[in-house]
Amino acid sequence: MKKSKWKFLSTLLLSVVLLAACSYGGESTTTSGEKEDGSSSASGPKKGGKVSIPIVADPTFNPWHPNAYAESNVINRVLFSGLTQPGKDLAPSPDLATKWEASEDGLEWTFYLRDDVLWHDGEKFTAEDVAYTFNEIALNKELGANNASYFQKVKEVQVVDDFTVKFMMESPVAALPAYLSFNTEIVPKHIFEGNDPWELTSFNKKTPVGTGSFKLKSYTSGQSVVLERNDDYYGETALLDEVEYKVLADANTHVAQILSGELSIFALDDLAALDRIEKAKGVTVEGRETTRFFWLIVNQQVEKYQDVRVRQALLHAIDRQNIIDTVLKGYGTIADAGIAPALKEYYTDDVTRYEYDPERAKELLAEAGWKDTDGDGIVDKDGEPFKIDFEIGIQGDLEAVSQMVQQYLVKVGLDVKLNAMEWNTMIQDVVVNRDYEMSLNWWRYPADPDLSAYMHSNSIKGMNIPAYQNAELDKLLDAGAQASDVEERKGIYLDAQKLMADELPYMFLWYPQEAQVRVDKLKGVPELSFGDALHYIHEWYIEE
Amino acid sequence: MLRFLLNRLGQSVVLLLIVTVITFFLINLAPGGPASTMRMEASPEERQAMIEKLGLDQPIYVRYIDWITHAVQGDLGISFTSSEPVIQRISERLPYTIELTVFTIVISVIVGILLGVLSAIKRGKAQDHIINFMSVIGLSVPAFWLGLMLILLFSITLGWLPSSGVGSRGADFDLWGWISHLILPVLILTTTVLPNIVRFTRSSMLEVISQNYIRTVRAKGAKESIVLYVHALRNALIPVVTIIGVLIPRLLSGAVITEAIFGWTGIGTLIIEAARGRDYPLVMGVTVMITIVVVVCNLFVDLVYSRIDPRVKNV
Repeated sequence: MKKSKWKFLSTLLLSVVLLAACSYGGESTTTSGEKEDGSSSASGPKKGGKVSIPIVADPTFNPWHPNAYAESNVINRVLFSGLTQPGKDLAPSPDLATKWEASEDGLEWTFYLRDDVLWHDGEKFTAEDVAYTFNEIALNKELGANNASYFQKVKEVQVVDDFTVKFMMESPVAALPAYLSFNTEIVPKHIFEGNDPWELTSFNKKTPVGTGSFKLKSYTSGQSVVLERNDDYYGETALLDEVEYKVLADANTHVAQILSGELSIFALDDLAALDRIEKAKGVTVEGRETTRFFWLIVNQQVEKYQDVRVRQALLHAIDRQNIIDTVLKGYGTIADAGIAPALKEYYTDDVTRYEYDPERAKELLAEAGWKDTDGDGIVDKDGEPFKIDFEIGIQGDLEAVSQMVQQYLVKVGLDVKLNAMEWNTMIQDVVVNRDYEMSLNWWRYPADPDLSAYMHSNSIKGMNIPAYQNAELDKLLDAGAQASDVEERKGIYLDAQKLMADELPYMFLWYPQEAQVRVDKLKGVPELSFGDALHYIHEWYIEE
Repeated sequence: MLRFLLNRLGQSVVLLLIVTVITFFLINLAPGGPASTMRMEASPEERQAMIEKLGLDQPIYVRYIDWITHAVQGDLGISFTSSEPVIQRISERLPYTIELTVFTIVISVIVGILLGVLSAIKRGKAQDHIINFMSVIGLSVPAFWLGLMLILLFSITLGWLPSSGVGSRGADFDLWGWISHLILPVLILTTTVLPNIVRFTRSSMLEVISQNYIRTVRAKGAKESIVLYVHALRNALIPVVTIIGVLIPRLLSGAVITEAIFGWTGIGTLIIEAARGRDYPLVMGVTVMITIVVVVCNLFVDLVYSRIDPRVKNV
């Protein structure tokens, strides 16, 4: 009796193992296993194949929908097209618009549209679609559309003729073409008209109709979105047959799947897994410049942080290079001001720099009146010890970075209490209620040096979270936003960067590089961040 | 019997009501409402527009009354994050979790009872020690760690099994694709469920075989297999049924960690999505579903109990 039972169990186990072994190599979930024609030559772009990209949640196929987050953006910019797109030099380049011009006073922008664009359902794309997208969705304050804040200065969009539109501005915005390349894709009027754009689930959650190089093939909630090549695409027809987005909530799974060949490309958020990926065969990690900067902010509504010497001391106290080398594994460069090196035309490092110098930090604190008078290791002023509540959201490297920052600040005599909280709670405290003292996070912005939204005094209720106010900086930012000449803007932003570095509206930490993980057989991906490279997905191909 | 059922039904309704009140108030009082889940860049106007659109500017009790009034009519509301009916979102995901549950329970019950009986009749011997040792390991090893290790071994190093996903369904259904996706998550869930069944079967079996009537059966010269499987096991299974009744709702309510690791799109991953997105109606919907599953399973266990053991009467 017992013998036969053991025999049964071992046979069961053996058969499972054999079954698994038989399937080795036969599994069809690899990134490119579908095309086996073998007809084409070994080199050069070939048609066919598919790529798999991870997303962390179910997407919303409407770029303006308030629920469309990163997981939706990476799909929407493939399904839909904008008037402009980030060029390979990041400057706005033509997409649905072939060219654009601003009037002398900068109050009218005219965009000339392509006349050969079809929606995925065969309808013709016209200026009406652009006007609808902006007038009815983006500029409709009641809707609270995503990214609407970039278009606050747009009064309305007028249709000039079938393929020309005019953006009527309240005041000049030189960055408009750049803003139009950043998650602001055009949606079809003929489907949306007469509907609440957020309630139209048949579109937003089921069958989106775009103008992009790929169209929807299938979508299974919680599993995957599969796009197929759009043969009627107005640009060069895509080389890949399909793009599959797999819903995988766990970042560890992304790493496991790219190592097992089930994923093709993504931007690695948590660099802890970097060594493992770098050692793996068939997968490459490359650093890519992005328009992002990491910052440490102190609430400037709180008096002690209004003294610039305190902010400078905080920055001197932190060994940023060490954090970049350890936590970021080298994927980043020290930031001096907000404009990232990715914006080559505008970036400068000829500004005040804050080396790691704890002694200088202590001196600056002392100059500001903060000294350790009672010998308890904490600097104090008027009997009050320098205590800081440091609130951050848990995401990616933020916690690891913040712990190091905390240690550095403690070393110069500050009593820092770190409170790492769930992301939404952090947003509630820091962003919505502004009930915080110190925080650490990052901004990613469209490829334009206009940082008014983040540090202009009129954005205090918006993204100017540190509540920084400086009339001189406001003037420079206004001038930069209004100047249409690139050379003139360069000069203005050079001055603005010097002022930012001196005054530290944000304590600029570093410009992170994206660690882009890619399987080697995926070719044709331009040297851009993953998000920007998606605009060129029609050029991607698989090389066996 | 009818009175028993009515009684239980009444209790269940009260229980359900209490659970919904607690959940509703807890999730609404948790810091960071739906407007906080918007991107950091969202302006105060954008956040306010969302709050008004979702009706979150109403007092919490008004919202609860509104929710419960619709819920009793079978309308669990519209998911904040997807604008689809909550019932639809749950019914899309539930079949996947049922799949995992059925496979896990069937395997665990068959293997668990066999090992439990073996362990009992070999009490104190090598087999018993090995089974006990393995049970302790199974109970102690965290699912997330074991899951990652198995992915490392079977998916990355050996390349035998997919590391996540549920395989193709519908028109592209492929049997091996389906089974291969099931193996690892079922294995993980089985390691957490199986030891419970083994240990319960063992202790219950040990208790039964020391009873007088078993000695009597043996004294009458019955074959050992008849003694064990006909006379002892039937009685030993009563507590085992209870533990299975407890395990089923636990599995059906979504093995959150296992589903997350293996990208299994069941109720577990839905719970994570709902909580992360502060999707209040979805959180409520899932809670109601889980509560009903627990209540029904418990009732079912009670009913089965009286079938297996006629001494137990439901009155």
